[in-house]
Order: sequence, then C-alpha cells, then structure tokens
Amino acid sequence: MTRKTYSVAAVAIGVGLALAATACAGGGADNSSGPSGGKVTLTFWENASPGPGAQYFQDAVKTYHSLHPNVTIKIQRIQNEDFDGKLQTALNSSSAPDIFLQRGGGKMQAMLDAGQIQALSLTATDTANVGTAALASDSIDGKVYAIPLDTQPEGIYYSKDLFRQAGITSTPTTMEELESDVAKLKAIHVAPVAVGAKDAWPAAHWYYNFAVRECSQDTMEQAGKSLKFTDPCWTKAGEDLASFLKVDPFQKGFLTASSQQGAGSSAGMLANHKAGMELMGNWEPGVVAGLTPDQKPLPDLAWFPFPAVAGGQGDPSAIMGGSGGYSLSRNAPKEAFGFLEFLVTKEQQEAYAKAFVTIPVNKTAQGVVTDSYNISALQAFNKAAYSMQFLDTEYGQNVGNAMNTAVVNLIAGKGTAADIVKDTNSAAEKG
Amino acid sequence: MSNPLGTDTATGRRSRGASPVGGAAPATAPATAPATPRAAVRRRGRGKTRLEIAVLSGPAIIMFLAFVVFPVALAAYYGFYRWHGYGAPTDWVGLNNYRLILTDHAFQQVLRHSFLIMVLSLLIQGPLAIALALLLNQRIRGRSLIRVLIFVPYVISEVVVGTGWSLMLQSNGALNDLLRSSGLGFLQADWLSNPKLAIWTLIGIVSWKYIGFAVILMLAGLQSIPDELFEAAQIDGASYWQIQRRITLPLLGPTIRIWAFLSIIGSLQLFDLVYIIWGPYVSGTAGTSTMAIYMVAQGRNAGNYGYGNAIAVVMFLISLVVALLYQRFVLRRDLQGAVTEGVS
Repeated sequence: MTRKTYSVAAVAIGVGLALAATACAGGGADNSSGPSGGKVTLTFWENASPGPGAQYFQDAVKTYHSLHPNVTIKIQRIQNEDFDGKLQTALNSSSAPDIFLQRGGGKMQAMLDAGQIQALSLTATDTANVGTAALASDSIDGKVYAIPLDTQPEGIYYSKDLFRQAGITSTPTTMEELESDVAKLKAIHVAPVAVGAKDAWPAAHWYYNFAVRECSQDTMEQAGKSLKFTDPCWTKAGEDLASFLKVDPFQKGFLTASSQQGAGSSAGMLANHKAGMELMGNWEPGVVAGLTPDQKPLPDLAWFPFPAVAGGQGDPSAIMGGSGGYSLSRNAPKEAFGFLEFLVTKEQQEAYAKAFVTIPVNKTAQGVVTDSYNISALQAFNKAAYSMQFLDTEYGQNVGNAMNTAVVNLIAGKGTAADIVKDTNSAAEKG
Repeated sequence: MSNPLGTDTATGRRSRGASPVGGAAPATAPATAPATPRAAVRRRGRGKTRLEIAVLSGPAIIMFLAFVVFPVALAAYYGFYRWHGYGAPTDWVGLNNYRLILTDHAFQQVLRHSFLIMVLSLLIQGPLAIALALLLNQRIRGRSLIRVLIFVPYVISEVVVGTGWSLMLQSNGALNDLLRSSGLGFLQADWLSNPKLAIWTLIGIVSWKYIGFAVILMLAGLQSIPDELFEAAQIDGASYWQIQRRITLPLLGPTIRIWAFLSIIGSLQLFDLVYIIWGPYVSGTAGTSTMAIYMVAQGRNAGNYGYGNAIAVVMFLISLVVALLYQRFVLRRDLQGAVTEGVS
C-alpha cells in the first residue's frame, strides 16, 4: 500500500515538473498585438549571410527608422539551414517574429491553414512596384501573403571559356543542340554538366524544367491543387530526362556530389573550370564566386535559358523560378506592413539588387542589373509567357521531396519515368 | 548496473520454477526477507528508507519521465495525426500513418538495410575483435601502439569519419587514385555511388569504425579471466587452441553477449555516418538508407511531422522488442550473474 502511494506521488511530481517545464517554454513575451499608433518595436527575421546582403538590411532598417521615428525594427539574422526550424517553433509559440522570410508554396499554405500569417492588402502603388507576375506566386486564392523582393529565374549557367575551347559558338536552344554540345565538352575532357545529386533537388530541377516544357500551365497549376499527377505529360518529362541521360551528360560520381560545398561540389566544378554547365536558380553566381580559387566572381560565367523541347505543351518561353518573399505573422501591427512597402520602393530595390547581385522585382530598379548572366536571365524572364515556381516549393516539401528522390533514382538507373509519377502520387497520401 | 532488478526477477522466476525442491530459498532470503511482518520500529525505519529512496531517485525519475517517457508519449500522440508542424495537430487519421509505413516500399527497404547492417556487424566485427583481442593480449612488441591504432577510429567523431571517407572514396578520390597509380586500375569503382557497392562500402566503414570498441571490450573481458585457469590447463597438457576454445571463449561469453547487444542496438539506430556520406535523399538510391534516415527524410525534411512521429514509434517498438527478446533469451544468465554463481 505505502509503496504504491509513494510511487504514485513520485510520478505525479515528475509529470507536474515536466508539464511546468513545457509550459514555461511556451510562455514568451507577446509584444506585438494588433494595430498600434504609438511607439512600436518590430522583430524581423532574415537569412542573409554576413556581407553586403546583411548590411543592406541593417541600412534599410536604419533608414526606415529615420523616416518613421516611432518604429524600431530589430533584425535577427538566422543561418539559412536553421531558419525554417526556428521559424516553425516561433510561429507555434506566442513569440513569432512580426516580419519574416517566407519560402512560399506548400509551407506558406501550411502557415495559412494554421492561421499564422496575415493577408496583405496592397495599394495600387505597391502592386505596381512589385509587379503582378511576381505577386502571383505569393498569392493563395487571390490574396497576397508575402511580398517578394527579387526574382530568381532558373537557367543554365556556363563557362564561356570552356564553351569557346570546345568550339561551341552559340548557346543551345534545343535539346539536340544541347546534346551535341555535351559531346563537344567531353572532347576537351571536362564534365559537360555538373549536378549535385546528393542534395536531390539540383537533379530534380532537370525534371522540373522538362515538366515546364511538357506540361501546360493549366496542368501544372491544377496539380498544385489536387496533388494528383495523372496527366501523361508528367511521365513524358521523365522520359525526356531519361533520353537526355543516354548521352551521359553528368560528371562522374554525381550521385554523392553536393551542390554547393567545396571544390568537388557541382558549383565548385563550374567555379574551377572542371565542368561546363550547371542548371541553377539565380543564387548560383554568388555560390560560384565563393568557390573559385581566388574566391572572386567567375569572370566568364554566363547564362542561357533551358532549351526548348519538341512537341511539349508548355510555352517554350516559360521559365522556372523561385520567389519567396516576406510575410507578416498573425499579430504583427500595421507598421510592419509599412516596412514591406518601403522595401519595394525604387531606391531600396536598387540597393537590394546591388547587395545581393540579383534581379529586383521592381522594374524601375532593374537598371542596376549589369552582370551579363543577370541581364540574359532578366531578358528571358521579361520575355517569358509565364513563370512556374520550383515544383518542390509549389507542391510542398512532402510531394516535392518524393519527386526529387524519384528523379535521383531515375538518374542513377534505379527507377523509370513512370516511377516518378507513382512515388509522387503515393507521397501525397503521407502529408 | 541493473543488478538489483535483475536478481529480483531472476530469483522470482527460479522460485516459481523449482519451488518443490526449495533449493533456491537460501539465495533469495536476503531479497525477500523484509516482506514478513516485523516489529513497529522496523516498519518506521522502512518508511524512512522509502523516503530516502524517493528523495535520492526523484531527480533521476523526473529526468527520465521528462526526457524519455514524455517525448515517447508525445510521439505516439502526434503519430495519429496528419500534421505539418504548423499550429496544433487537428487532422486525426487514426492508424493510417502506420498503415502507410508498413506498406511503404521504401520502409521495407530500410528495414532490410538496417537488419543487414546488424547481422553483418555481428558476423564481421565479432570474430575479428576476438581474434585481435587474443593477439593483443599476448606480450608482443608495439602492443600498446597497435591497441591505440585500433581504438582511434572509435574515438573520432562520426562527422569527421564520414567526411574523411566520403572524400577518399569519391570517384576521383584518393582510393581510386591509389589503385590507378599502383597498377590496380581495374579495381577502381564508384564506391559510394554505385548502388550495388554502396552498402558494402558502408559496412566496411562501420566495421572499421566500431571494431575498436569491440576489441577494447574483449580485452577487458580477457583480463578478467584468472590466470590460474590457464596455468592449470597448461599443466594438464591443453594446447593453445584448446585453452582458447574451452576456457577463454566460454569465460568471455558475458562480454561477447553484452557487446553484441550494444552492436545490435547501434546498428538499428545507425544514422550519422549515412547522413554525412550519402545524405537523406540519395541514401535510398544508393541502397544505404537506414530506419533513422527514413524517419528524418520522411518526417522532418518532408515536413510530415505526424508521419515522422509514427516512424519514430515504429523504430522505438522494433528496438524495444529486439532488446527485450535479447535480454530475455541471451542475457538472462549474465543478468543474474550465473557465471560465477554456479547453477545447481
């Protein structure tokens, strides 16, 4: 009897303490509730790595404070890989940042479902500043939930020097031309195409781009809602990739090569003239610059859009790209939105583009784009009939990861084009 | 460590099994004595003892509840939901996550990999470790140097080992270079990316990494065997191999069984080496994915926190069942200290 009561008491104490501990962890300071007119302090989470990008945000916050002395913005810079986990915890607790980097796609949908972000009501000026095309990818059911600052058109980055050495005079516009260029690059003993398949998504981007060419815009958008990949174009895209693999375009041992770390990574191979091309979004020049022997930008880096695929239903000019943006959490005061509006004005966008070496969304600020690869990308983007979000973002991580892994399987010779569709469909059940 | 508990249950079992003879009664006497009614003084003393036990074990119990039982219970709870980790889970799906796990082709694959690693770790590391320990137990020149060299891989962190090996084993890495320049070019291979080879590469690295630990355990086991036994056997004219087979191996039994237990649990939970070398996405393709990798890839990386928690529960149950079975059938004698006690 006594023994029983003792142990019950011990358990009760233990559970009580455990609950108390967790309750404590949940209770944070709730400093940002509802609209306020007086002095406000906002928290702002972003992921710029140290350097000009981080400096830009510091400067922007300072300028905004001098224009609106009642608004103080505290920046918290979080390392990219840690960002999503920390944000998720913060959003679930009551200490969410007011303004934060938004990845978009399935994650934004999940935040919306949990009621953690607010819809933004843009003025006509805001809309003109950002541009409707860029806003489209940050909207759900016609409402805008994030404001993008740059566009990230994807295409093939290549080394002009290696192309010249291989005797390639103009960039390929069709798959046949790309395949013959692969042969030419092999002849000068460099890897024609580098891909960091260890991270899965870089390999999967080949499939995405084939899908953009094969599937109509409508099919791709429908798939985002139903998460059913029944249209034959999805298999067709896999077959296109399988047929491209026949010319053996990728570097040796690509399966365990990472995309961005060290000279052996795919970006590192491009940076060190060991590979001719790499398919990437427009963060690539910055990554490559960090991996060249002198850690300076690669002088002969250039860009061309993904080649056309004969017989596809997608528009040949359509382009794949990421966007992301900045969202406001549920309880952020209206001053937070003012800061977002400020970030997309011309001067801020110019400074942003310079700091991040990227293409700003505000068309009036695009004059500051000077690097040849960014100019090519910008031209292709402005010419594009439409832009598709990266599929793993568009369809959510769950489906996206399954698709990425299935593409890696195909490339490694362990799966077929039909398996990509099958695995993707079955992943949709899990989440 | 779990001695009091082990003795208790073991004696309980024995008295149940062999009660008519009552041969076990003297041995169990100290453990069961307080159960009989005694004087009040004695009882008050017992209450005090209980309080003391509660106070002393309280912190440990609280830690255990807060950091082991509570998370396990939470994982079981989340496992019943379809949940992306934003907001509180609301979409109750019952056992659907478990149904999906058990029917998922990829999960069956990781089970195969995990069990293959487990079996081969035992088969490769066990005999090798015993042989090495026997060798290193002899008085040979450079013995301590060899001991250190064998133990070093175990001490190095998994991340360093993983990074090092993945650099050396790349298609244009050091190993292939060495093979090429020493005229063995035909042996070159894609050690990491060839799906037919990768699992064997992994098993090689795992064996290299963890054998040091096995050797140290075996050496300690060997040193605890009294020398007199060997001397007596030698006087009786036993050969070296007879001594090893009839004396060393049986007396090393408890050590071997404990090592095997640790090795099994370690294999079932293998994560870091695979994560560093192959990463969560490619390991399935390369054929080296383990249960823990599957959990991270399908749970955290895919944003399916409900599904991921269900995988954690399945992993927990598999490890628990294996551990319980092993304790019940293999470690039973060790836990009751039968080796030195002698069996009647």
